[in-house]
Amino acid sequence: MQCRELEVFFEEEGLAPLSAAARQHLSECHACKHFFEDVTGIVALAHQLPAELDPPEHIWISIRNELVRDGTIRGLSGDRVPWWQSFAELFRNRSLATAAVAMVIIVVAFLLGSKPREQVLQVQEDPYASTVMALSQQEHDLANMQLASTGENSAVDASLRQNLEQVNEFIADCERRVREEPSDELAREYLTNAYQQKAQLLSAMMDREGSLN
Amino acid sequence: MSEADAIRLAQAGDAAAFEFLYRLHGRRVYALCLRMVGNPSDAEDLMQEAFLQLFRKIGTFRGESAFSTWLHRMTVNVVLMRLRKKTLPVASLEETTEPDEETGGPRKDIGAPDLKLTGAVDRVNLERSIEKLPPGYRTVFVLHDVQGYEHNEIADIMGCSVGNSKSQLHKARTRLRDLLQEEVREQARNERQIAKTQTGQAR
Repeated sequence: MQCRELEVFFEEEGLAPLSAAARQHLSECHACKHFFEDVTGIVALAHQLPAELDPPEHIWISIRNELVRDGTIRGLSGDRVPWWQSFAELFRNRSLATAAVAMVIIVVAFLLGSKPREQVLQVQEDPYASTVMALSQQEHDLANMQLASTGENSAVDASLRQNLEQVNEFIADCERRVREEPSDELAREYLTNAYQQKAQLLSAMMDREGSLN
Repeated sequence: MSEADAIRLAQAGDAAAFEFLYRLHGRRVYALCLRMVGNPSDAEDLMQEAFLQLFRKIGTFRGESAFSTWLHRMTVNVVLMRLRKKTLPVASLEETTEPDEETGGPRKDIGAPDLKLTGAVDRVNLERSIEKLPPGYRTVFVLHDVQGYEHNEIADIMGCSVGNSKSQLHKARTRLRDLLQEEVREQARNERQIAKTQTGQAR
């Protein structure tokens, strides 16, 4: 077998199984042997890349809202999907919830560890203060960007705005619940997830505004 | 609920069935979009577009091919259309199936020592090089070597022959090797440059 024939073999049969003639050629030709080893290594590395990745949850909400609006999804009353349904879906995604909770735990642990002792009690009282402040700032920046925008709004933008309203409603509910029942772990978990979702939504909206302007 | 049940219910407009299908295939479609365009914001847009097209046309699905193949075909079309609209240099299918060189034999860097990649590249290098592949090669490589599709499925998704899919995969792998070798050389050059500067400063 010659180099050219080996090339045709790889093209038609792939890298495995190798024929006896191909094996023989590889044992004699250093260039082809290196090529084979390199490509086999590349394929092995490619197999390690994840074939599946978690998409952000807001994509499904946007798709569903679109499908309800254009009548592809039937049987739901009105154009607007009830907000509590959207949130039930948000928190069904366990990996998102776990990541969000883990993030907040790390942040709170960091805050507690880094603050002087006299400030610890204050941090325990309102561990979300810095998150709320950062989100407010982001929302303020987004409002400024929207004011400066050309005013062209797509269905996706409308859907994102609607989702943001839903998130804000839910955050208000969770905050009220946490204020009334500070020991309610579930409410805290929901609140954490809602903050995470709001951050994602704001970031997506700012990206869109940035690309439109 | 089985996939077949979900398709039937979705054809009747059932919300839960649409969600079932989205959850079943969404992670794979998102990974495909992300590897094809290389940025999460575009990948999200494309994924949304692909699923909207799919769900709006679900009434026409007759089951001649697997549902996932149909979905992937739609996704690949949406992605390739977007790439064509952008200013990125996009090689046509014909172009990407042309032989790279007429030298015969696996591509070698003439005049340069044959560079062995084993151990020199990691996933980051690979991801970066995949992004540099022409879209036709990239699609076949991602579908086959990352997502694990067989050539007959890829032929279905891309609307080409099995032979064409095999040939494109081989050329994609060969091109990827070239890109990675380039990257390793570039890295070595940079390291030499840094070492030279440090030596100069020490004197």
